[in-house]
Amino acid sequence: MKRAKKPVFFIVALLILVFAYTSLFGVHGQNGDNRITYIKGASDIRWGIDINGGVEATFSPDTQGVKATEDQLNSAKAIVELRLVNQNITDYELYVDYNQDHIIVRFPWKNDETTFDPENAIQELSATALLTFREGTEYTDSNIVLQGSDVKSATARMTQNQSTGQTEYEVGLELSSEGTSKFAEATERLQGQTISIWMDDTMISAPTVNAVITDGKASITGGFTASDASDLANKINAGALPFKLVTTNFSTVSPTLGASALDAMTIAGLIGFILVCLMMLIVYRLPGFVSIIALIGQMAICFAAVSGYLPFINSFTMTLPGIAGIILSIGMGVDANIITFTRIKEELNAGKTLDGAIQKGNANSFWAIFDGNITTILVALILMMVFGPTNILSMLFGPSTTGSVYSFGYTLLVGNIGNFIMGVGASRLMLKSISGFKCFRNKWLYGGAAK
Amino acid sequence: MKTFNFQFCEKKKLFFGISLAVLAIGLIFNIIFGTQLDIQFSGGAVIKYSYSGSITQEDVEKIVKDASGKDVSVRIHEDMSTVNDPTIANNSVSISFAGTDSISLEQQQAIAAALDEKHPDSKFEVIESSSVNPTMGRSFLLKCAIAILIAFVLLVVYVGFRFKKIGGVTAGIMAIIALLHDVLIVYFTFVVFRMPINDSFMAVVLTILGYSLNNTIIIYDRIRENRRLMGPKATYAQLVDTSINQTLTRSIFTSLSTFIAIAAVFVVGTVYGLTSVTTFALPMMVGVVVGCYSSIFIAGPLYVAWHDHKDKKRESAQAAETK
Repeated sequence: MKRAKKPVFFIVALLILVFAYTSLFGVHGQNGDNRITYIKGASDIRWGIDINGGVEATFSPDTQGVKATEDQLNSAKAIVELRLVNQNITDYELYVDYNQDHIIVRFPWKNDETTFDPENAIQELSATALLTFREGTEYTDSNIVLQGSDVKSATARMTQNQSTGQTEYEVGLELSSEGTSKFAEATERLQGQTISIWMDDTMISAPTVNAVITDGKASITGGFTASDASDLANKINAGALPFKLVTTNFSTVSPTLGASALDAMTIAGLIGFILVCLMMLIVYRLPGFVSIIALIGQMAICFAAVSGYLPFINSFTMTLPGIAGIILSIGMGVDANIITFTRIKEELNAGKTLDGAIQKGNANSFWAIFDGNITTILVALILMMVFGPTNILSMLFGPSTTGSVYSFGYTLLVGNIGNFIMGVGASRLMLKSISGFKCFRNKWLYGGAAK
Repeated sequence: MKTFNFQFCEKKKLFFGISLAVLAIGLIFNIIFGTQLDIQFSGGAVIKYSYSGSITQEDVEKIVKDASGKDVSVRIHEDMSTVNDPTIANNSVSISFAGTDSISLEQQQAIAAALDEKHPDSKFEVIESSSVNPTMGRSFLLKCAIAILIAFVLLVVYVGFRFKKIGGVTAGIMAIIALLHDVLIVYFTFVVFRMPINDSFMAVVLTILGYSLNNTIIIYDRIRENRRLMGPKATYAQLVDTSINQTLTRSIFTSLSTFIAIAAVFVVGTVYGLTSVTTFALPMMVGVVVGCYSSIFIAGPLYVAWHDHKDKKRESAQAAETK
């Protein structure tokens, strides 16, 4: 066997421990009163509403039995989004299911929330959109120029600037006949001044009147990007085609219930981990000790993948099934080590030398671990593809309506990859290295008979 | 080191019998109790409030019925140590609405207002509420079933490819039968303990699928290796028995460590009184045991029984030809 060099054990173990520490506690700096997060730790994990409490609701546009169009749903989504931000809810998830006319919103409790009323919040989110065009930039009772019913439609479109030849985006408005005459009067009176556009009590745009518009066809220009333009058009449309959003599903979990669930899971996780470590130490001795370091590394990989430790991996909402996925993959990590160490023990009992036994044991156990993990990875991938945001069954069921199964697939996938890196890679490297030390060459330490 | 030498294949009738008996008992329970679908899947509404002081079940039932116009069933849970202390809101009441329709926000607000009006000192507060439209729940359930089906097909293909040497597709199908066995027993666990089929059920089933499959693959891997070592002369029964015995230590320790970890979750969940955790951990403990059992006592012996059956058929066919 090519024995790994002696310092390898310490280097690998140190790297794992540093990684585990940073992924658990993060790296933070202090700048005056501000805490700066350089690397996100476990405390930055975004917990799903089944753990931390929160609100989930499903809205459907009330279109009297007629299927809502994609534009209508986009408008409704734009409105809900705007209102979420207005209510200072930034940590939300919002999905649209175009096949079944559903808009699903999910948001957790804020940490310091005490007086939040979820029923009111949901009612505000689903209220009929109130669109107004107002003289100037003030929200008063008397300065309304146009109302939602005066607007026929709004579209985002592309034009070419006459003088520069560049492509620009703008929002085109088409007004009703009543709206046309009102707007003609207003644009004549307010030339060079501002007519602001409001959704409920939020100003969404404040264009300046450049010309008198008498044909009911106006355009709003001014340095829009493509997404800005379609966003504004969606919002205006929501007010132009007012339909009520009906709340079909609604669930809340109080923050106190959520907090105690999280405490319990932390304690249970710690106890479970300590018990498993003890068992590994008692049954497998020195390799058991090595496997504990590898398991810590595997758990750190799981934490890092959900907390957004690496800047290029987005943070992930952690739910109860997500935790189940981690438990399963850690279980498989333990299993990978058990399979290998049992094989090493077998070889020692068959009379092999220590190095020979380690090499043979590693080789014999690899494909079992490989096949076991690959099949589980297959299952995880299917779950992610079926229950993910874009999924292979979307023709049948529409985009994902629930994130809980997806998060199970995600943590299971990450955990299994972590198992290959830690349970197979790092664990074997460390064992080969540590077996080079004279004091660690007693076969008893590896489960064989004492010398 | 101990080496085991159990005759798994010879006693296969006993093992299949045990499984069938357990499944039959589960089925009987299922017929008696029926299946409780959580409102997540069936549609419907539940609200849980915390309150302080003392209220009666009939009283709440009447208030809610008047406010919402729906039939309800009310369950009160009082914390014995603080039940008479009106300052601590440690008691809870859960209200289930009849039927599978969701309730509207307005109804929910009307209920809260009515409760506050009749019992202004009780400090009613929503702990949990959930109201689900029946069509959405059903489509989620169907989607889960399709996902599992796709997974099964892919697994048979993968196992068929990787274990070609030992008759991969057969091995794959036997592994799937063992998995179905596990899913059924987990399902019956929910039925026997009167737990509604919900998110936890999905999570447990998925976990046990992965777990039991891994167990089975480990044994198949050993069969694949032993086929090489023992040569083509060894009978399927010898081959599988040897393989299961050789992997037995590993099977026991792995299952034990998973069981210990989940038992810790169960105990802590019970101490904290978290039903969402215990309804997840309890069937998972059952699932770990069953997943281990099915890999050892079902998948392997079933695989042997299939091959023996095929061999016999071939022999009788050959015998017929030579006549």
